Amino acid sequence: MAYLNVSEIESALQNLATAYPATTELLRAPNLSHEGRQVRVLRIGTKSSDEVDGILILGGVHAREWVPPDALISLAADLLEADKLGTGLGYGNKTFAASEIRKVMESLNLFVCACVNPDGRLYSQTNEPLWRKNRRPHPGGGDCVGVDINRNFDFLWDHLAKFAPDSGVSASEDPCDRNVYRGPSAASEPEVRNVVWLFDTFPRIRWHLDVHSAVPVILHSWGSDQNQTIEPNQTFLNSAFDGARGRLNDPEYGEYITPGDLEIAETLSTRMNDAVKAVRGSNYGVEQAYGLYPTSGASDDYAFSRHFADPSKTKVYGFTVECGDSFQPPWSEAEEVIREVSAGVIAFSLGAAGE
Amino acid sequence: MNQESIIRVQIEAPTLADLRAFADEIKPDLGCRATPRKRDGSFSVDAYLPETQLEVARRSRSAARVTIRILENATAVGRERQKEVGERNRFSVRGEVPRGLGRKE
Repeated sequence: MAYLNVSEIESALQNLATAYPATTELLRAPNLSHEGRQVRVLRIGTKSSDEVDGILILGGVHAREWVPPDALISLAADLLEADKLGTGLGYGNKTFAASEIRKVMESLNLFVCACVNPDGRLYSQTNEPLWRKNRRPHPGGGDCVGVDINRNFDFLWDHLAKFAPDSGVSASEDPCDRNVYRGPSAASEPEVRNVVWLFDTFPRIRWHLDVHSAVPVILHSWGSDQNQTIEPNQTFLNSAFDGARGRLNDPEYGEYITPGDLEIAETLSTRMNDAVKAVRGSNYGVEQAYGLYPTSGASDDYAFSRHFADPSKTKVYGFTVECGDSFQPPWSEAEEVIREVSAGVIAFSLGAAGE
Repeated sequence: MNQESIIRVQIEAPTLADLRAFADEIKPDLGCRATPRKRDGSFSVDAYLPETQLEVARRSRSAARVTIRILENATAVGRERQKEVGERNRFSVRGEVPRGLGRKE
């Protein structure tokens, strides 16, 4: 075996949809990438998208992180085959009973967007291996190509205005920044608009898993500042705190999260981590997405923020899985990481399904 | 386009503040999300530095409080891994259906 290239990911999704017509739907994301590639999303589940709740699972946002798209294709294939055969699934020392697989398939829809950023993946796999961004051309035709998709979502996107100058927020307004250029405007990138389209089109999506690599760790909300559960006025929506947001260990501002939401986020993260650990003993750990620095414009925060910015929208709990400990491990190790991700996502799904 | 080799290093510091001071000064690529790990009473994070920046990092003011350990030439490793990417399309022939790595049991 070997890492999937961009064409193979596309064909794999199509062939899965053809092989399992009763339990899949192949969706065409509306925006082509800058290089004209179509992104497809495989909906997996026995019920229609308006009958049961959904989980949106992303892979390949960052081009150099090669394992997540392969993991999501493998997971999709496993779920569909096990459901058809009526079997359970095993990953290392972690097993799921046939009844659990059936529960996932009948209680949920999994929206699998295996490779959000195909242009970037192709470039990383054939040219610069450590390329992270998409391949947005420089507006002036210069050498500075690409936007960090995971800094382009409409969540505190304007980091210069929204964060304290000394917060060290992980984003850049410089188009020549090698890694974290935020783009010319919020959701300027077609890859980001495709994700937004999924949330808008399928309002029963209630959970969001963005699979990245590598640390490893499982991250939950928020990424903009350290969580606090006391002061509900300290939120990303409150412009009174613009310029004060994001400082480490600063009592002036903390991102508000209700105790109930925090418990849900931690419980689901822990459930995922327990399953990952059972595979071969790797303890990814669970942490808040605010690490050494705050982050702006990330998909997990955007997903969770939508309901608070517009209460008519579904509340979506956002998570980021940083799998494995290398962007591009040898394929033999990548297979082990794929098993960990698969087990983690199935366990998470069972938690979301109320098991 | 910058084709300079990128070196993956582990930065370790006795306190989070020391790690943060070093990162503030050098502004290394810390991956997706800068998530420091606590291990044996110290804090560490992986970083990706162009070769030229590695020397700058070692001479920096805050370097005295951290240990920089080279893990690998990530660019060279990535070029090796490019040989492990599918060359054709395994699924274009006869509509072959992908199979996952899970045991069906």
